[in-house]
Amino acid sequence: MDSQANTSGDVLDRLMAAARDGDSVAYRHFLAEAAQRVRAMLARKIGADSEVEDLVQECLIAIHQKRHTLDPGRPVAPWMYAIANYKLIDHWRKRGRSPIDLDDEADMAVAPETLAATDIETLLDKLPDAQAQAIRLTHIEGLTNREAGERLGVGVSAMKLRVHRGMARLREIADKDRI
Amino acid sequence: MSSTDSLIDRLATDGATPRTGSLARFAAPMVGAAAICAALVIFALDTPFSTVSSDGFSPIFVKWGFSIALLLLSGFALWFIGRPGRSTGGALATLAVPFVLVGALLLPDPLIGQHSFPGETWRRCLTAMAVMSPIAFAGAILGARSLAPVRLRRAGFAAGLFGGAVAMTAYSPYCPERGMLYMAVFYCLPIITMAAIGWVTGPRLLRW
Repeated sequence: MDSQANTSGDVLDRLMAAARDGDSVAYRHFLAEAAQRVRAMLARKIGADSEVEDLVQECLIAIHQKRHTLDPGRPVAPWMYAIANYKLIDHWRKRGRSPIDLDDEADMAVAPETLAATDIETLLDKLPDAQAQAIRLTHIEGLTNREAGERLGVGVSAMKLRVHRGMARLREIADKDRI
Repeated sequence: MSSTDSLIDRLATDGATPRTGSLARFAAPMVGAAAICAALVIFALDTPFSTVSSDGFSPIFVKWGFSIALLLLSGFALWFIGRPGRSTGGALATLAVPFVLVGALLLPDPLIGQHSFPGETWRRCLTAMAVMSPIAFAGAILGARSLAPVRLRRAGFAAGLFGGAVAMTAYSPYCPERGMLYMAVFYCLPIITMAAIGWVTGPRLLRW
């Protein structure tokens, strides 16, 4: 943990300080740097697991949502790695309780040849309910992430993640269909 | 562009500046729960400080000294535990200080043997602790959930101590009993029990 903090602390500290001064580009760089560091940490701990990227995204969401718990002037790296470690442990805890990944199971149930003549509702039915609902609200009904989140009782960041994952899954389905 | 890059772009649009009022979001449910406890004793019980005329202020000073110190220490500990990347061992260790002081005062307590134990109102005391501790505990849990605790058992433990300390602070003006033994048995033990419940349930209640 200490070596992690030493190697990433300065860059992260500078980027976060600039971002908190209103530099939105610096915040994007901060998140990219954080993703890289967290990905490396997770890869060391769990290897080339197929879920590493999902975990990285969970960590980024958590880092973003809980950024108010980072006191100005305090080093970013210990805070960031503590959150990442927590998310990893939480991930293991969830997997311990539910070894079957329901999203993967649903995806496996989709036969590519069935998608040729489908409409958008049929496509959305292939997604997990939360993702499909998020896409309906934001991309069909035209609500903002905040409005959709308020309707479903979830935060803006969680809504963004649902939309993001749902759209990524739709792209995969569409790509397979074209092939 | 990878899906993670896309996510980063989405998150970056929110900016790095967090919403203001972090301390208020943490403290409000705890203060609210304490207010509920205060309202409960005011409406349910009669005549606070009834023993001051006969016993003076010493008993209530001792009780409030313990409970308010524990209330503040557990609140601060919860605040620190809710901020990732900080060492929380010191904050937890300070929570033992009020109990150590009670233990130190218990040994030479001149009232041991002079008053009947457990006294006449111990059932009411236990009932008050059992009713109000969970209310204040719930407030502390809500407050902690506004932060980012990564040591959930520790956070639950501190929340439990806070719950018990609030209950004791609210009830003790109505408590006519005296003596450190009474305080140890009918206040400290219920508080520690609430803390143990927090330790056990913390991972479930505080998960985020």
